[in-house]
Amino acid sequence: MAGSWEIIIFCGTLVLGLMAGWVMHRSDFCLASAFRDLFLFRSAFMLRQIVLAVLVGMVLFEALRLCGLIAELPFPMMGPASWTHLLGGILFGCGMVLAGGCVFGTLYKAGSGSATGLTAIGGIVLGCLVYGWIHPWWQPLRERLTWSLSWDIPGALGASALLFKAITAVFLLVMVLYWSQRGTMHREAHAQGYLQPRHAALALGAIGALSVLLVGMPLGLTTAYTKVGAWLVTLAVPHPAQMPDYFSAVAMDYRTLLGGVPLTGGPTPHWDGISLVQYPLILGVFFGSALSAQRLGEWHFRWRLPANQYFLALTGGVMMGLASRLAPGCNVWHVLGGLPILAIGSILFTTGLFPGAWFGARLLNRLLG
Amino acid sequence: MSQELQFDLRGQICPSTLLTALREVNRHRKDLRQGSVRLTIHTDNRDSTATIPEAVRNMGYRVLVEKKDGHYLLHIDFPVEDQGAGA
Repeated sequence: MAGSWEIIIFCGTLVLGLMAGWVMHRSDFCLASAFRDLFLFRSAFMLRQIVLAVLVGMVLFEALRLCGLIAELPFPMMGPASWTHLLGGILFGCGMVLAGGCVFGTLYKAGSGSATGLTAIGGIVLGCLVYGWIHPWWQPLRERLTWSLSWDIPGALGASALLFKAITAVFLLVMVLYWSQRGTMHREAHAQGYLQPRHAALALGAIGALSVLLVGMPLGLTTAYTKVGAWLVTLAVPHPAQMPDYFSAVAMDYRTLLGGVPLTGGPTPHWDGISLVQYPLILGVFFGSALSAQRLGEWHFRWRLPANQYFLALTGGVMMGLASRLAPGCNVWHVLGGLPILAIGSILFTTGLFPGAWFGARLLNRLLG
Repeated sequence: MSQELQFDLRGQICPSTLLTALREVNRHRKDLRQGSVRLTIHTDNRDSTATIPEAVRNMGYRVLVEKKDGHYLLHIDFPVEDQGAGA
């Protein structure tokens, strides 16, 4: 029977998801477009918003750490940098462009009635479960490609984390203020109930910090998708012994600071700590977006679409799912979770998103243009 | 009297709305600039209600956005005073 803190975590994460889903729908805030539009339309507008979100996360995470409200860094399931972060970022960047949205983007779009968003989610689950068979040879490779440096930039340089983050935050703040002054952080909008992306960036940065406060981790979803994939495998595989070993791995094992709740879990088909934290987040984002769309009279399910768009969504989703296991981690986990704490692995993943998105944009132009 | 060309892009994967709008504006630029054609894009993609006007206005066209039946209509034409000035 769930203790009261487990119920608080479940409900709290659900509320965070509802808020995030609502905000992302109102603003149409998708990280995929930030990288894609740079190459497809020569627009850096959304990338500027991402910089703001990273800045907010950096300041809030550091404030939490200094107040003793973060048990330890890096966050659970974040480790030392590996070249697989870069490779995963490249594959993920291409996939999210083809799918029409990243892991969170496809989820909130699905919530507002997008058939291709739903298709992409199916692809993500498929990509995650396929990794189960790749894991035995990928894991040793990942270990060989792991950097021997500290997990973060200040640690690698032997510098004070606080001082390094303060300097970085000031630099990012100057950039944001400069863009604000030039008017390039604002977009003329016509959609009803539109939320300016810079306000969404502030909100998402704050929601990420609340997630860290509540469960000790930033926002992330893909391990939960892998659990769904693992469950699907149990339906197809006659004996549990035939399940790939990956689906019984333990990915995290820690206690939350608030409530001291033990959170253990991994890509297994069973209910565990990952389920407690990520399933309500998935439900929250989906229904938060659905509620936002419904309130505006904009919820519609339209499925009569060109077949190539379903193909793109599915293919892009599979690429994202696979990349999220290869790296490991997804774009929101690394960009909004790892970058603010200057995790080198997240910097490598984010760097990989650029060439990946560039390649995806070229493919997209050929297939949709 | 100009002809209105309608494009129903509701439900389509992102960013096909913007890509299609730009393609059709370029395809019909001669007729748009002569005032013989107006384009209307039907979309439920909220982002495109900002990105399409931004892009198309930079190309010299006029855009009016209206909401109808739970989705958005983007009416694109060329300012009357600039019509017939050449493609």
